[in-house]
Amino acid sequence: MAASDTVSSVETQLLGREVSFAVSQPWLAYWLVVMRLVSGWWLLHAGLDKLASWPFDASWFVGGAAAGTSLGPFLTLFSDGLGLAITNVAVPVGQVLIGLGLVFGAFTRAAAFFGALLMTFFYFVNGETGGWAHGLVTGELLGLLIYGMIATLGAGRVLGVDAYLARTELIGSSPRLRRLVG
Amino acid sequence: MGDTVTAGTVARYVGGGLVLVGTVGIGALEMALGASHPVSGEGQIEHGTLVPLEVRSYVILAGLLVWGAYAAYTTLTGTTGTADSGQGVGTRRAE
Repeated sequence: MAASDTVSSVETQLLGREVSFAVSQPWLAYWLVVMRLVSGWWLLHAGLDKLASWPFDASWFVGGAAAGTSLGPFLTLFSDGLGLAITNVAVPVGQVLIGLGLVFGAFTRAAAFFGALLMTFFYFVNGETGGWAHGLVTGELLGLLIYGMIATLGAGRVLGVDAYLARTELIGSSPRLRRLVG
Repeated sequence: MGDTVTAGTVARYVGGGLVLVGTVGIGALEMALGASHPVSGEGQIEHGTLVPLEVRSYVILAGLLVWGAYAAYTTLTGTTGTADSGQGVGTRRAE
């Protein structure tokens, strides 16, 4: 059977009902890579942009915008002093690492998890400070869901470094480390 | 295995349920009975929402926390949570 014809059958239960459907393997692999590259570049660009115009100051976000939002009690802990100094470095460096992880498919599940975590901060702070003027489904929420999908489906195994990492003895022999790669 | 299935089931239904209630469920309710979006600009008629936006965002946040807690749980315990053993979709040259 030619690669373009291959399908996988998904058979499971959802809400107490038998669910069965066919998935085109080439298209599944294709979309996993596309989602990984685009959503990875999203954060890689954001991180590189901040590093290119260094210094980066996150105080307007963690100290200003976040105050009064549902995440304010946590985020404002990083609004000054050592917390802010760490945040000013962690955000751009973290974005670059998450972006690289997704683009190259290395430690994809960990990268996607932290990407979703960042999106959670952006989603609630931007949404609440903007009064949810454009509704509660925003680009940040969709980004968060895409990162969740990438982590769930282990997208790093498709044309990614994780396909190699998963076969190494270090990763292969450790269930915990195995969870971090795609 | 049993714990993982239980935790996975809770994560899927409770986490996803809260996110869907916060976005789609309350959203549909607001469209039908409340305000499709809050209008508070100067000169505009103000429409109150049935469910305060703050409550709605907390519902979604709770769902996301359930998902995040499940991700952390499976990582810390080293369980896969789903039928994911590194097999399945892989990278190999097409025949």
